[in-house]
Amino acid sequence: MATMKVLAMPPKGSTKKKPGPSDGAATPQGPSLAEQLSYLHYPRPFKNPYYNKNVNRRAKNLKAVLGQERERDRVKREALRNSKAERAAQGVDGMDVEEEEEEPNYSSIEAPPSVLPQRHYCDITGLEAPYTDPATGLRYHDKSVYALIQSLSPGIVKDYLSARGVNSIVK
Amino acid sequence: MDIDEPTPTVYTLPIPQLPGPPPPAEPYALHRDAHTPLVLDNGSTTLRWGFATSAVPFTGLNAVAKYKERRTNKPLLLFGEAIDAESGAKSQTRTPWEGDVLLNFDALENALDYAFVHLGIDTPTVNHPVIMSERICTPLHSRALTSELMFELYNVPSLTYCVDGIMSFYANHLPPPTAPFTSDGLVLSFNTHSTSVIPILKGKGIMSHVQRIPWGAAQSSEYLLKLIQLKYPSFPTRVTSAQTNWMYRTFCSFTPSYPTLLKSLSNPKTLLAHERIIQFPFLLPLSEEKSPSELLRLAEKRKEQGKKLQELAAKSRADKLVQKEADLEYLLDLRGESELTGKMSRKEWAARLSAEGFETEAALEDTIKKLDVYVKKARKKEAGEVDEPMEEPSFPLVDVPDEDLDEEGLKEKKKQKLLKSGWEFRVRARKEKEREREEREREAKREEEERETDLAGWSSKMRKEQETLMAKIKDRARRKTALTDRKSAAAQARMKNIANLAADDRVPKKKRKGGGEDMFGADDADWQIYRKINITAPSDDEEDDLTTLHEIERKLLTYDPTFTPSHTHASLTSLSSALLTSFRPPYPDTDPAGHARIHLSTERFRVPETYFAPSMAGTDTAGLGEVIANVLARFPEHEKASLVSNIFLTGAPSQVGGLREKLEATLRPILDPEMRMGIVQAADAGLDAWRGMAAYARTPEFGVNGVSRAEYDEWGGERVKRWWGGNRTGSS
Repeated sequence: MATMKVLAMPPKGSTKKKPGPSDGAATPQGPSLAEQLSYLHYPRPFKNPYYNKNVNRRAKNLKAVLGQERERDRVKREALRNSKAERAAQGVDGMDVEEEEEEPNYSSIEAPPSVLPQRHYCDITGLEAPYTDPATGLRYHDKSVYALIQSLSPGIVKDYLSARGVNSIVK
Repeated sequence: MDIDEPTPTVYTLPIPQLPGPPPPAEPYALHRDAHTPLVLDNGSTTLRWGFATSAVPFTGLNAVAKYKERRTNKPLLLFGEAIDAESGAKSQTRTPWEGDVLLNFDALENALDYAFVHLGIDTPTVNHPVIMSERICTPLHSRALTSELMFELYNVPSLTYCVDGIMSFYANHLPPPTAPFTSDGLVLSFNTHSTSVIPILKGKGIMSHVQRIPWGAAQSSEYLLKLIQLKYPSFPTRVTSAQTNWMYRTFCSFTPSYPTLLKSLSNPKTLLAHERIIQFPFLLPLSEEKSPSELLRLAEKRKEQGKKLQELAAKSRADKLVQKEADLEYLLDLRGESELTGKMSRKEWAARLSAEGFETEAALEDTIKKLDVYVKKARKKEAGEVDEPMEEPSFPLVDVPDEDLDEEGLKEKKKQKLLKSGWEFRVRARKEKEREREEREREAKREEEERETDLAGWSSKMRKEQETLMAKIKDRARRKTALTDRKSAAAQARMKNIANLAADDRVPKKKRKGGGEDMFGADDADWQIYRKINITAPSDDEEDDLTTLHEIERKLLTYDPTFTPSHTHASLTSLSSALLTSFRPPYPDTDPAGHARIHLSTERFRVPETYFAPSMAGTDTAGLGEVIANVLARFPEHEKASLVSNIFLTGAPSQVGGLREKLEATLRPILDPEMRMGIVQAADAGLDAWRGMAAYARTPEFGVNGVSRAEYDEWGGERVKRWWGGNRTGSS
C-alpha cells in the first residue's frame, strides 16, 4: 500500500477564476457588491501553511527603519576606515586598490536643500509678492490683497502660513 | 461684462463608478508547468501583475481593506478599487507602502494573494520565477521582509529585484534580441511620493549618482487640496483626495517660465481667461411654494381674523360707553339729588360724597364733566362726524390774586396754573411744528426750482456735499483704527487724557503754588472729554452723517442721470479690487450652484511649479532643475553630453502637460550651448516599467541576476546580485 505522505496541501483542482456569489443559495437576498468582490474565502493553495510569521514582530515604522539603515551604514564606514588605516599602517600600496565608494542608501540619495535664491509668491493669490505684512508675516501682491489680509482671522492666517511651511507656534 | 464674451465652460466632476469584477485572466493551465516568469510591478499607487507572456498587466490600486460588514457581520477582504464598494471599508484601508517605503507586510501579503488568486494559481507553491520592482535605494528592511514573504510563504524558485525607472527606460530602448543593453540616458522617474534622477551609462544604472526629491504626485495633490481649502474656507461639500487627484491631472500644467506667466496673470482679464471652473454637487434649498389659491385662502383667513378683532374691539368700546353713560346718569342724579333736597346739611352731603368716592364737590363736578365729554365724543364718533378742534379751555382762577381765594380755591388755582402752562406749551409746540414744516416745504421747493433751472450746478453741489461727508466718515474710521494701534499718536493722547483725569493732583505744581484750584467742571464743555475717551460708545454724529449721506445720494440717484449706484458710498466702500473678484468670483447668497463651484486660476500653474521649487510648499529641498544640475555636474563632459541627449521621462505623474517644455527651458541655460539636448517621454508612462520587466524576463539572461532559493537560504533576504537594472544597496 503506498502511503501518501502529504507534504503540502493537495491541489484543490481548478478553482473558479471569476468571482461569483459566495452563498447564493442560503439567503434569498443576493449578496452585496462588496461580498461579491471580497476574496476572503477564496482558497489560496499557494501559501505555505507551515510558515509562521514572527507574530511578535511589530511593523516597524519609517523612523525605525531609517535609523537602522543609518546605524548599519555607520558601522560599515567605520570598518572601512579601520581597514584602510590598517592597510596604511602595513605600508601596502593602497593607491591601486579601488576605493569602495560609499554605497548609496535611502537617506543619502535625498536631495540637499536648495541653494538658489527663493522667490516670494503671494500667499493668497499665488502671484508675485514684493511685499510682506509685518503683523502676520504673509506675503501679498498689492494693496487690495493687503486689505483682504487685514480682515483675516488668526486661524486662517496660521493656515496660510503652514501651507508655505512656516509653522510658528509662538504666535 | 461684454455680451460677446463666451460663457466659460463649467466642468463637472467625474461620476464615481461602482467597482465591478476585474477582467478575467487567461486560464492557468497555460502556465501551470511552464515556469513562465511572473512580473510584479509593486507601485506605491497601483500594483501591476501578470505573466511575462502577456502584453499588458492587470492593474489594481495597491490597497487592501479588511472589513466586517455591519449588517450581516461577515468579514470581507477587498482589494484595490473594490474598496469603493463598501463605504465603511474605506476607513480600514491599509496600503503596503507608507509614503515612499514598503513597510506594511500584512497588506503586501494580501495584495499578492489577490494577484495570485486572480491569475488562478492553484499549485502548492508559486512555481514561477518572479521579477519584482522595488524603489531605488530601498531600505534593506523592506527588501528583507519582501524576500521573506516571497520565499517562505510563496516558495518561489527565484526572485529578481529591479528598479522601475530603469526598466521603463529599457522598455523604450529595447536592444535587438541578442545584443546586450547599452543605451545611455538620464531617467527622470516620477513616482507617487518622490521623484528620482537616475543616470544610465552603457546600460548600467550609476546608482551612486542618483538623487531623489521627496516631492511627488501625492504631495502635489495634497498641496492643491490645501490651496483649495484656503481659497474656499466655507465650501459646502468636502473635497476628497480622489477628486483633487482628478483636478490635478486634468487642469494643472507646467509652464516654461513661471515669472513671466505670473506677470501676465496680474491682469485680471488674463486671470479670467486662464481659469477653469469645476462644479461640485449641491443641494437645492426647499422652497415652500404656495399655489395662488392657497395664497388667496390665507389672505382671506387673515382678513377674517382682522375683522373679528375689530368687532371685538367695537363691542368692548360699546360696552364701556354704556357703562360710562350709566355712571354719568347716576352722578347727575346724585347732583340733582343734592339740589333737590337743597337743605341737606353740609355734613351729610360731605358724607354722601365721600361714600361715592369724591373728596369735594368740585371733584364731583370734574368727573361729571369728563364723563360728559367722553360720552359726547363717543356718540359723535359713532355718528361718524369729524372731531371738532378743541376750544381753548378757560382758566379763570389764574388771574385771581391769592388773597381772595380760600384753601380750596388755592388748590384749584394751582391746578389751573399747571393746566394752563401745559396747554400753552402744547399750543406752542404745535405752532413750532407747523413752522418747521413750512420751512422744509420752502426748502424743498427752492431745491426743486434750483434743480430744474440748473441741473448741473445742483448736482455738482450735491456731489460736493456727498464727498465731504464721505471724507468725514473716512476720517472718523481712520481715527478709530489709529486708536486701536497702541503706539499711535491718537492712542497716546487718549492715555494722557485718562491719566490726567485719574491723577490725584490735577493741578500742575506751578499753578498750585499760586493758589490755583482744580476748575474742572466749571465749564460744561469739560465733560465732553469723557465722551472722547470712551471709544466703544457709538457716537451720534456717525449716524447723523450716514443718514444725511443717504438722503443726498437718494436725491442724486433719482434726479441726476449721471450718478449711478456705483458712485454711492456703500458701493465705494465695499469695492474689492478687480483682481480679487477675478481670482475668486463671488456669488450671490441665493445661488447654491455658484457657491459649490471651484475656480482654479493661479493654482493650475502654482502646484506643478512646486516640482521645480518645493520650498514654495514648505519642503526644504532643491527642485528638479537644481537636482538635475547637481547630478550632471558629477560627470565628465563627454558623459554629460550622452546623458543630456537622451533625457527620459517616465512614471504616471510625468503625463501632466507642459513638462517637457519646462525642462527644456530650465536645462538649456545651464548646459553648454553646443550640447544637444533631447527630452523623450515614455510611450506609456504608467505601464512601461512593467513592460520593461516583462521584456527582460523573456530574455535568456533573465535567471542569472536573481536570487535563487538556495542563495536566499544562505545569504538571507537583504543580499542581492549587482546588475544593471537593480539596486546597489545590499548588493555584492
